[in-house]
Amino acid sequence: MVSAGRASEQVRPPALLDAWPSFRLLARQNLALLLILPSLLLAVAIILYPFFVIVRLSLSNVSPFGQLRGFVGWANYAGVLADPVFYGSLVRTLIWTATVVGGTVLISVPVALVLQQDFYGRGIARTIVMLPWALSLAMAAILWEWSFNADYGMINGILQGLRLISGPIHWMARADTAFPVEIGVGILVSIPFTATIFQGGLSSMPTDIYEAARIDGASAWQQFRYLTLPLLKPFIEIAMVLNVIYVFNSFPIIWVMTQGGPDNATHILVTYAYQLAFSLGRPGPAAAVSVLMLAIVLTFTVVYMRLQREEA
Amino acid sequence: MGRQATGFGRRAALGGAASLPLLRPTWASAAETVHFVVAEYSNATGPYFQQMADEFHKANPDIEVNIDVVNWNSLLQTLQTDISGGTTPDLSIIGTRWLLDFVKDGVAEPLDSFMTPQFRNRFVPIFLQPGSIGGKVYGLPIAASARAMFYNKEMLTKAGFPNGPATWNDVVAAAKKVKAAGAYGFGLQGKEIETDVYWYYALWSYGGELVNKQGKAVAFDSPAGVKALTLYKMMIDQGLTETAVTSYNREDLQNLFKQGRLSMVITAPFLIGQIAKESPNLQYGIVPVPKGTTESTYAVTDSIVMFKNSKVKKSAFKFLDFIFTKEPRVLFNKNEGFLPTTKAVAEDPYFANDPRLKVFVDLMPRAHFAPVIVGWEDVAKDVIDALQSVYLGHAQPAAALKRASQQADQVL
Repeated sequence: MVSAGRASEQVRPPALLDAWPSFRLLARQNLALLLILPSLLLAVAIILYPFFVIVRLSLSNVSPFGQLRGFVGWANYAGVLADPVFYGSLVRTLIWTATVVGGTVLISVPVALVLQQDFYGRGIARTIVMLPWALSLAMAAILWEWSFNADYGMINGILQGLRLISGPIHWMARADTAFPVEIGVGILVSIPFTATIFQGGLSSMPTDIYEAARIDGASAWQQFRYLTLPLLKPFIEIAMVLNVIYVFNSFPIIWVMTQGGPDNATHILVTYAYQLAFSLGRPGPAAAVSVLMLAIVLTFTVVYMRLQREEA
Repeated sequence: MGRQATGFGRRAALGGAASLPLLRPTWASAAETVHFVVAEYSNATGPYFQQMADEFHKANPDIEVNIDVVNWNSLLQTLQTDISGGTTPDLSIIGTRWLLDFVKDGVAEPLDSFMTPQFRNRFVPIFLQPGSIGGKVYGLPIAASARAMFYNKEMLTKAGFPNGPATWNDVVAAAKKVKAAGAYGFGLQGKEIETDVYWYYALWSYGGELVNKQGKAVAFDSPAGVKALTLYKMMIDQGLTETAVTSYNREDLQNLFKQGRLSMVITAPFLIGQIAKESPNLQYGIVPVPKGTTESTYAVTDSIVMFKNSKVKKSAFKFLDFIFTKEPRVLFNKNEGFLPTTKAVAEDPYFANDPRLKVFVDLMPRAHFAPVIVGWEDVAKDVIDALQSVYLGHAQPAAALKRASQQADQVL
């Protein structure tokens, strides 16, 4: 601010003087805008154009080959919302996301803690934990599908070898066994990424506070509960958000292992949308499901950001 | 997501193919390139069509044929992407049941103006029928198969049916004996593609139909349909099938049969070739689909279609003309184990004298094809859901079929 004390000497109205730096600011902002313009345009092209296409598809009667046969308003949405499979898939998507993300975080914290310890063969252990990450999801799902095969699978083989079961369990024949198996696989393939985030968090923690805690006589649990966990919290949060986004949209595991069956009882929204579009040749309703999914993820993001802001 | 992953790879492949014609004129000015998408039936499919393309090119130096082999599971999606992106190939193999959608969207070219009477006369008439819509031929039958029952000779001889079961009662009686001997009796498919068809076998054998004469409403919730499903459910409940049928697709059943763990399975002639390769010592026979009140089977054809926006239609048809001559067809059918679709091949001693293939060929006059109806894929899905709910014990046959038919009627 131009100081009020000099106001008497001023001939020009102070407003202009006030405005002068903001002109510069504006110029600087323009430059900044100019500099980010290319990436902004790219983002618009990559995000907004497909978004426009999917919304248009969701409001049209679309042939199996993507030709628009006319505007139908909300009919695709109404059709999807009248389909009981949609609601089953919606509920299952929530269960799937919550259990996979929750399970992943619960397991990844101790895994990261163990891998943080100095022990013989730690390098190998870290590599083994990381390995599933190197495998594409579809390949991992195929591997597990074979492992859970009732007749030749290794899981039944091991269980029978240990005499824990008398006959083969048909894991994939019923949704009540197939879906938990898929959740388990989902957790397993999410651990490497999550454990890596946590390891990064753990290695950035100062060691002296632990020494201080030990001197003060804190037990291992107390050290974990009152030092590690609070310090790890931002990393847990970011891992949750990223995993929710990945897992919510995760398609390969369920599609490869059960294709949403038997009797539509293992569908989540993304496999349901895929089935509508590519098995049944109905891109319109599939686009409607996609838009609804986008709305769900957006809601989640908004709620999360609200919570973040309140905490801050 | 899977869609993007495959779609992306596909785009890249296409980009490569599409750039070729632009480059070509500089070094071979008269050349035309025909782009042909081929569905992969087996490991032999790609090499076979490449060989055909090379032979054709030798005879017609001004036409080059580009072969692009695509897996069956991603074929429809690949074509959908190409069609909506405006980058269709010139020719493609498709499942004939997709044809109606192609025709309705105006992406398939009618072939009648290219076909001479002699060319038309090469085909076994019944196989031209599924590829014809509204009196025009859009698809030429590249592959055809029918279904029959394979039975394990050793097991069925012990069970008292050395010549295989003739009726569903025989199947049940034999399966009981086989079960007592510690193997699976009747193989019942419970998941993935064609789970519905496996039930149609019995439905048709009891005189049922899938849709009414006008094709406007489904008819599978008839007494014949309920009877067929009740029969299957009874076999499941009595342990006469493999355990947990909803975890077995067609290939799984074929594998059980090849390993000698399953005594009866209904499937296509290509199992003959698989057994010869993988378990040559298996003693088996082939009989028609078991009789209920009548005899029937399911027949399927795959078609080659030409796309409307092809710029090389004449050359493309010239290539079709070539691969539908006798030698290329004989080689194809021998490789893949399909039924002959042209008369010359049917008369070839290799096919005419094969008693196993003869069972399939003899069934053809009573064969049912999948209904040519928009939305059939949807109906099939409703049927599969209903069947699985019955197989799992979640619903009763009549109620499940009623519900499926109501859902299906909304689609038709």
